[in-house]
Amino acid sequence: MFNIPKEKAVPLGCITPAPVTEQPMMITGNWREYRPVIDNEKCNLCMSCIVYCPDACWQLNEAEDEPVWNAKYCKGCLICVNECTSGALTKAYELDFEDGVVRLEKPF
Amino acid sequence: MAKEMMMSGCAASAQAAKLAKVEVACSYPIRPYTALMMELAKMVANGELDCEFIHGEGEHAQLSVVFGAAAAGARALTGSSGVGVTYAMETYSPIAGGRVPLQMMIADRALDPPGDFGSEHTDAMSTRDQGWILGWAETPQEALDNSLINYRVGEDHRVLLPQMVCQDGYFVSHIPGPVVIPDQAQADEFLPPYKLPHPLDPHHPVSHGPQIRPDQGTIMDMQRAQAMLDAPKVIKEALADFGRIFGRKYGMIDQFMTDDAEMVFFIQGAHAFTARHAIKHLRAKGLKIGMVKLRFVRPWPTQEVAEALSKFKAVGVVETSTSYGGAMRGGNLLHEVRASLYECPQRPLTTSFMAGLGGEVIPLHEFYYMADVMSKMLKLGKSEKTVYWTGFESE
Repeated sequence: MFNIPKEKAVPLGCITPAPVTEQPMMITGNWREYRPVIDNEKCNLCMSCIVYCPDACWQLNEAEDEPVWNAKYCKGCLICVNECTSGALTKAYELDFEDGVVRLEKPF
Repeated sequence: MAKEMMMSGCAASAQAAKLAKVEVACSYPIRPYTALMMELAKMVANGELDCEFIHGEGEHAQLSVVFGAAAAGARALTGSSGVGVTYAMETYSPIAGGRVPLQMMIADRALDPPGDFGSEHTDAMSTRDQGWILGWAETPQEALDNSLINYRVGEDHRVLLPQMVCQDGYFVSHIPGPVVIPDQAQADEFLPPYKLPHPLDPHHPVSHGPQIRPDQGTIMDMQRAQAMLDAPKVIKEALADFGRIFGRKYGMIDQFMTDDAEMVFFIQGAHAFTARHAIKHLRAKGLKIGMVKLRFVRPWPTQEVAEALSKFKAVGVVETSTSYGGAMRGGNLLHEVRASLYECPQRPLTTSFMAGLGGEVIPLHEFYYMADVMSKMLKLGKSEKTVYWTGFESE
């Protein structure tokens, strides 16, 4: 048998309990170069961003009636900007923000 | 009662699928393996087999479909030949790494240099380092038996690996041979129901195939390596049970007329059938020759090969696959044979013969030629070359 230190153990086949909501072991927001920015005044609630986001990073806040962006997992693919029907979504360079994307010391 | 019938290897594999109560099958046509899916489709249409039969849009899709099905808890079967096997190459590692024990039946076909539809082992041999259990059948009977044995071994929770159950295209897949079809009760006793320890299940959601970090990669490779290390013990248990229940005895390697043999053919698959006849004729002429037949390429039976082959003076490895530019300049098996023998105090002289490539028959006279080369090796006391292209050497 191999000697695998406890802190390095990986479950069989790397099969893990499903996160159900978010997977904290795999943050992907730091992959981003551009982020989508929403202008809620222009948004017509067509839901295209919510439907098209491949990572479910747009969710509808039903109380406020507006789409909410998830910065932790958005990879910046900008499909939402492309699909937006009202012009409410634009792209903005990530490092133009004070809270710009946090680069990790390790790539993963 | 078990009954004996004449049938092809593909038909025998379909009988094995029925006995194993395969729940999901995914097909895509390529000859010669296609005949398996034709048989299965008939069984499903006739209500003999309760199986979801899916048409994939290519081999990559075939493997992906059965990957999902087996991950969701269904015993699954797919298959292919030649370039179909290599077209699905990307899927082999994740299926083994995800520890999903589905089965793939391969009826060998030469890879394209351009098109050739004859049998050659290079298609499945090219996948041998992906973590699949891999081995060849000599006859339709062995194809049926290997399918059941492989399901049992692969699904064992000490192993959990997918399996490639190979038979030579045409020679086994299409030439009928006698096949004893066991009773369902025998198959049920031998092969417990499919039970994955980590199935996809909406009531207990799990993530399969997540992105992992580089530091987790080695650990996963080690898990797969360990499963291969553990597999021989499980295979031997399964073979012992198989012998007890079905009355047919197999090893990881099988030997034929080796008791007093000085030299042997080391061979896998259909051409072993011809080798048996060649050996009988050669023995009638006074040559002490036998055969060691390889039944598993992965896990490679290092111990068994070393113990068996070190008894002889000369070993001629019959290669039915290519390893262009490899250390032995011919096929793949001599690499592994020589590596297995390296630590043995008593080593036989070894060489290899490229034969049966592109779907060629290996006729008796080619086996006689190989025996001649081995006799000369013994006289000289050394092996002059690592590979002979049988039928194409200048003398």
